[in-house]
Amino acid sequence: MRIIAWLAGIGTLLAGALYMIVSLNRWEWNRALFFGLIVLIAEVGLATGLVLRRLARLEYRTTRVDPAVANILRETRPPSADRFAWLREPSRDLNVFITFLVGGGVLLSGIAWVVDRVASKSSSPAGEERLGRQLDPISYPSGGLLLDDITVLAQEVPGANDDQIRQLLRRGGRP
Amino acid sequence: MKKLTPLRLLLGAIGLAVGIVGVLALREATLSTHEPVSAARETELVVSAKTKGGEQDQTLPEMVEAQLQTCRLEVTSDLAGPIESLGDGRFRAVFTPAMDETNQRQFRGCVEDWVIDHVSVNVIELANAT
Repeated sequence: MRIIAWLAGIGTLLAGALYMIVSLNRWEWNRALFFGLIVLIAEVGLATGLVLRRLARLEYRTTRVDPAVANILRETRPPSADRFAWLREPSRDLNVFITFLVGGGVLLSGIAWVVDRVASKSSSPAGEERLGRQLDPISYPSGGLLLDDITVLAQEVPGANDDQIRQLLRRGGRP
Repeated sequence: MKKLTPLRLLLGAIGLAVGIVGVLALREATLSTHEPVSAARETELVVSAKTKGGEQDQTLPEMVEAQLQTCRLEVTSDLAGPIESLGDGRFRAVFTPAMDETNQRQFRGCVEDWVIDHVSVNVIELANAT
């Protein structure tokens, strides 16, 4: 299958080049341009195929390493650097790590205390103010739900003809 | 790096020579070298044409006329009269003044080239006449 593809590419390249030269010789410029385009496409395809084949060979070579060589390299591998050896030193002396640890803890604690105090002073009033604004649409009207006597007498409200309701309304309307 | 042997050098020289000769031949074949035509007065053209997949309102005679009118712009000759239909997809046209050899090659190449879509024109006869 691969050989057929290579032969097809090479055949297309040669045929396209032949027809391009023939068309040029016959002063058929449009045909020459078309076959030149075919030649270019075949050339790019073949070049890409060659590059990919070379890359595949390189990859094949890198994957086939002699096990004996790999074993020798593994055994002679240098030890990894112990970058935290200083942590295992005797801690009788106050070295840099302890200094940084304690100092950093104190510093972070101080910053956290300041943040907490500032937040407690600023968030509660702001939250209460925001809650008050949110409760405002569902709050009772300033004058209460009951009408005053003048409004009751002036308007024909539902239930105004009931004696008990009129009595309640008059009471509610008093200041 | 492969070693240069005399055989390889010989093959390389032959390839280079073939390439140079080919390019020079192609240059000679596509170079315009005009010369006066004194013996002939006009050039007679007979073509066969066929169309495939063209628009419905496009006829073969007008396609051939468009092709010939386009190609006559590449040479120094012009149509001397209307294009005559000979039947069976064949057409005849006369151009004046007569074309020299380079113009004939150029005109033949243009007429047989892919100039207009859906029409293929082949030159049957292209010759000067007195």
